[in-house]
Amino acid sequence: MNGLSDRNFFLSAVVLYGVSTLYSALLWRRGFRRDNRVIYLLILAALGLHTVAMMKRGFSLSRCPVNNLYEATIFALWGIAASYVVIGLWRRLRFLGAFASPLLFAAGVFALMPGLDAQGPQTQDARVWGSVHAALVLLAYGAFGLSSVAALMYLSAEHDLKRDKLRAAFTLLPPIQRLELAIGRSVAVGFVLLTVGLLVGAVSLHQSKTTYAAPDAKVIWSAVVWLAYLVLLVLRVRHAQTGRRFAWSALGSFAFILLTFWSSNLLSRIHHP
Amino acid sequence: MPVVVVGLSHRTASVAVRERLAFAQDAIPPALQRLRETGLATEAVILSTCNRVELYAATDREPAAALEALRRFLLETRALAEPLTTELYACGEPESLEHLFRVASGLDSMVLGETEILGQMKKAYEVALQAGHTGRLLNKAFQRAFNVAKHIRTHTSIQRGNVSVSSVAVDLAEHIFASLAERTVMVIGAGEMSEKTARSLLSRGARGIVVTNRSVERAAALATELGGRAVPFDQWAAEFAQLDIIISSTSAPGYVLDCARLEPLLKLRRHQPLLLIDIAVPRDIDPEVNLLDDVFLYNIDDLQMIAADALRQRQEEIARCEAIIREKIRGILAPAAPGASPDPKLAYGA
Repeated sequence: MNGLSDRNFFLSAVVLYGVSTLYSALLWRRGFRRDNRVIYLLILAALGLHTVAMMKRGFSLSRCPVNNLYEATIFALWGIAASYVVIGLWRRLRFLGAFASPLLFAAGVFALMPGLDAQGPQTQDARVWGSVHAALVLLAYGAFGLSSVAALMYLSAEHDLKRDKLRAAFTLLPPIQRLELAIGRSVAVGFVLLTVGLLVGAVSLHQSKTTYAAPDAKVIWSAVVWLAYLVLLVLRVRHAQTGRRFAWSALGSFAFILLTFWSSNLLSRIHHP
Repeated sequence: MPVVVVGLSHRTASVAVRERLAFAQDAIPPALQRLRETGLATEAVILSTCNRVELYAATDREPAAALEALRRFLLETRALAEPLTTELYACGEPESLEHLFRVASGLDSMVLGETEILGQMKKAYEVALQAGHTGRLLNKAFQRAFNVAKHIRTHTSIQRGNVSVSSVAVDLAEHIFASLAERTVMVIGAGEMSEKTARSLLSRGARGIVVTNRSVERAAALATELGGRAVPFDQWAAEFAQLDIIISSTSAPGYVLDCARLEPLLKLRRHQPLLLIDIAVPRDIDPEVNLLDDVFLYNIDDLQMIAADALRQRQEEIARCEAIIREKIRGILAPAAPGASPDPKLAYGA
């Protein structure tokens, strides 16, 4: 055990998340008719390894391990996995693992990219504001992640209710109206957190007294994400966008974040000096 | 001292016979009292529902004689002259316990796996318990029966899904709407099936009912019965903005509702979900409307297919339930009488 690094433990956890993702495919095919213990146990085992990885990193640094993209990502993923393990104590809700597994696996693979686990120099003031900025923005992405999970559930349930009526009648998924509400609320919460987080980020940049000649890739990317979610909310509130379009938009927006988050960080001189 | 059962149910007797043997609630305690005073039983519970009348008793008499005496008691108490040789069943342990567990689990019910019987059984037991007509044997037997029923409900799919068309419609509504409490239902055409479905939705909390029919009198009568209001048939579209569920069962030869008519109305609802239940044959609603966003259409075939599948799933679970019951029975009997052979089933006239 002592010979393995924290990254090895996290790698093992990601492998288990991968196995549970494969198993999820079976649950998707069956239409979530029954609670499922296997997926719950897989994620529980992965969470154990994930926790060991976080603890080893934290003890080696003698502080909370949220100092770079790798640490921030595994911290956020740990929160999702731990939430699922608690929620999964209710047998009826264990099927949620089929939605959490792909997210945990995909984000876990990205977190393991070597470039994300780098330490950059920071001043004390910038570190404080920077930590607040990182925490708020990560929480915002967490909320957007939840909205995408709810959107995925909505689209699955809506598809069944229209086209696979037998499966719809026996599914354990919540009513689509409740899922639609969950998408809307998590997008709204995420948008508020992102707005505050970006404002704090601007203060942090001001505190560091650093000037950059060219516009930063991550700043432009953040503005695009912020604008995309603003449009999403305006369309929803002002123009009563239909549930299905809203779900697709929430899912697409988060997919954009997942696919471009790391590259925008690597291109950013502020976030990846 | 064995636990025995004598009675009849929907499986053995018609409603005409069942209603004559049924006990009114206030007639049960005196009957139990008389049963114990005559020495026929040391403990007794009478279960009387619309589908069964059963007398569970613990007796220190020889089982065959006790069952015959209990059978006579049941007929005399209800003043029945006929012997009911084919309708009445009677059995001693272990069949009596197995029967008790099957009844509590809904395996012997008309609607396989239904849960109402468990509540009725608990009530019957409570009546006997309060009056002091139960003791160690029946207390143990009934408590075990309730536990087994709970275990079966938790560990098998015997109660999953709905097996009637109206319940399936309600179930689908609950998969669409977060709550039925604020939903308004419109019934187009006043058929029996649409009335049943509307009643089921109301019983699950639907807020209001609007009835429309070509015959204004029929619409008004049904609206009064359901506690809703009637609107003229040519004006039902004016109500559309506030409707969430439409049940249609007219005898119109063509579609009452199609995309061209529905699309402009959907905008009035700001894209809230709309559930359409088409029970009519020929169909009232163009199947193409199911392709519209936020519209969910189910016709009679869809509902019957879902109900049939639920029934099939429940039937597939019977073997699992019975295995659980047999295991629990072995658990009860093993410490009491190891090696003792149970009394064979004693059926009267069967």
